[in-house]
Amino acid sequence: MSNKVLTMPAAGAETEIMPVRGRVVKSKWTFNLLTFLMVFGPGLIVMVADNDAGAVSTYIQAGAQYGTHLLWVILLLLPVTYFIQEMVVRLGIATGKGHAAMIYQRFGKWWGLFSLADLELVNFFTLVTEFAAIDLACANLGIDPRIGVPAAAAGLITIAVTGSYRRWERMAVALCSLDLIWLYLAWKLHPPLADLGHGLIPGVPAGGLTGDLVFMVIAIIGTTVAPWQLFFQQSCIADKKLRFADVKWARLDTFLGACFTITVAGCMLIAGNYSRIHGFTFEDPAKMANNLLPLAGWFVRNALLLLMINAALLGATAISLSSAWAYGEVRGWPHSLELPFYKAKGFYGIYAFCTAVAAGVVLIPKAPLQLIILSVQVLAGVMLPSAIIFLQLLLNDRELLGAYANRPWNNAVNWTIIVVLFALSVILAAQVAAPKLFPAS
Amino acid sequence: MATTMNSLELEELESRFVVIHPLDDVPEEKVDTESLGPMAMTMSVRVSLVSLRAYLVLMVLLVMYHALDLAGLFGRHV
Repeated sequence: MSNKVLTMPAAGAETEIMPVRGRVVKSKWTFNLLTFLMVFGPGLIVMVADNDAGAVSTYIQAGAQYGTHLLWVILLLLPVTYFIQEMVVRLGIATGKGHAAMIYQRFGKWWGLFSLADLELVNFFTLVTEFAAIDLACANLGIDPRIGVPAAAAGLITIAVTGSYRRWERMAVALCSLDLIWLYLAWKLHPPLADLGHGLIPGVPAGGLTGDLVFMVIAIIGTTVAPWQLFFQQSCIADKKLRFADVKWARLDTFLGACFTITVAGCMLIAGNYSRIHGFTFEDPAKMANNLLPLAGWFVRNALLLLMINAALLGATAISLSSAWAYGEVRGWPHSLELPFYKAKGFYGIYAFCTAVAAGVVLIPKAPLQLIILSVQVLAGVMLPSAIIFLQLLLNDRELLGAYANRPWNNAVNWTIIVVLFALSVILAAQVAAPKLFPAS
Repeated sequence: MATTMNSLELEELESRFVVIHPLDDVPEEKVDTESLGPMAMTMSVRVSLVSLRAYLVLMVLLVMYHALDLAGLFGRHV
């Protein structure tokens, strides 16, 4: 491979001034590898960011309550999450625009503003839960949350406003790579291999099909397939200016991201299972980490708390960005991480505002965090099916996508996923909004 | 080190591959979404949007039920 970096005029445009920087390589294999590495990023980030603070709590709770019995549910979500995000990849590359802009342009002002308002609300409430997790983890690590939470918010704002997409992406990928520690933790906790194998086979845990179990399964699905992911990845692809030739690499990026995030989710479940085996009752991930201190040592305890902060940071940057991109697209503001602050004040302003206010809410004594968590569940229940319906309709829009539109088998898979998600969202929202309608388990 | 390409180097390049980061590449022509206007209201689009409206109405009713329930309209809260 040659390390030579070229600067040349754009192909077929001798009079063009715009230079193209490239790297010359001799083998096709190296070319493919480097191209993949250059395209790599949005798929991994959207998937790993989905394992945010709420997801950490949900997966650990699933392990703490049902052992490894629900591993098969997580595994089943691998194709679901990949198929949904793969549609976003095609839409983003073909149009070069974000999801909010597409809904606004193709379905009109009403649906566009409805989707935007719902997204902004649910994202903000989710952001508050991310900072609540940072607050909780800081307090348990002996760091004053009044210092830890603002420091986290300042860090999140700093990594986004550098005026370089690549710089932000590298930092986000670095945060993603920290999730590899979950694999080490799972290995260190010595999960019974027979139980793991048994957990991958679909079945109902001992105790039968109770209301709590149904709620847990819905929570796992809800946390693995989140509405902001659609908006985030499409805007990210548009901002990175991925090309038609990059579709296959963007798909691979998304697939590898899905595999990684599902594996990490399984590791979180294993951590919860470890506390269950030792007779602890689950309250929250921080308490569980403290419970494990005498059994698994300080490394496991501190790693759990730090990984919770990492999950919250990654979730927060992705969620805030999806809000800022969506708002900028609909308002027609400049909205790119490639722009310096003074050229995209509105875009960066929304990002910084969401991050700072969410961090501030958490620091308010007696803030109604339970009400906020409840609102997240209800609003996400409203948002997800509507966002996926728009996605499916856009992917069948041949006028818009041409050869990149869905094929019949895509539609069969996607409509099945949509129907299941619709039903689960209705049950979840009904259970949260009207718990008395459901008998106790 | 960045250099400017001459014709000899361009010929040499034909047997090689050039990897270009998407952000460094020439902007690609995408679908002109603005000239397309709103989506055509086919039967499937209409049915999907009506179903979505029904779903949203159901959600609003559930939230209203919850609010009224919290207000104690359906009996005392323990």
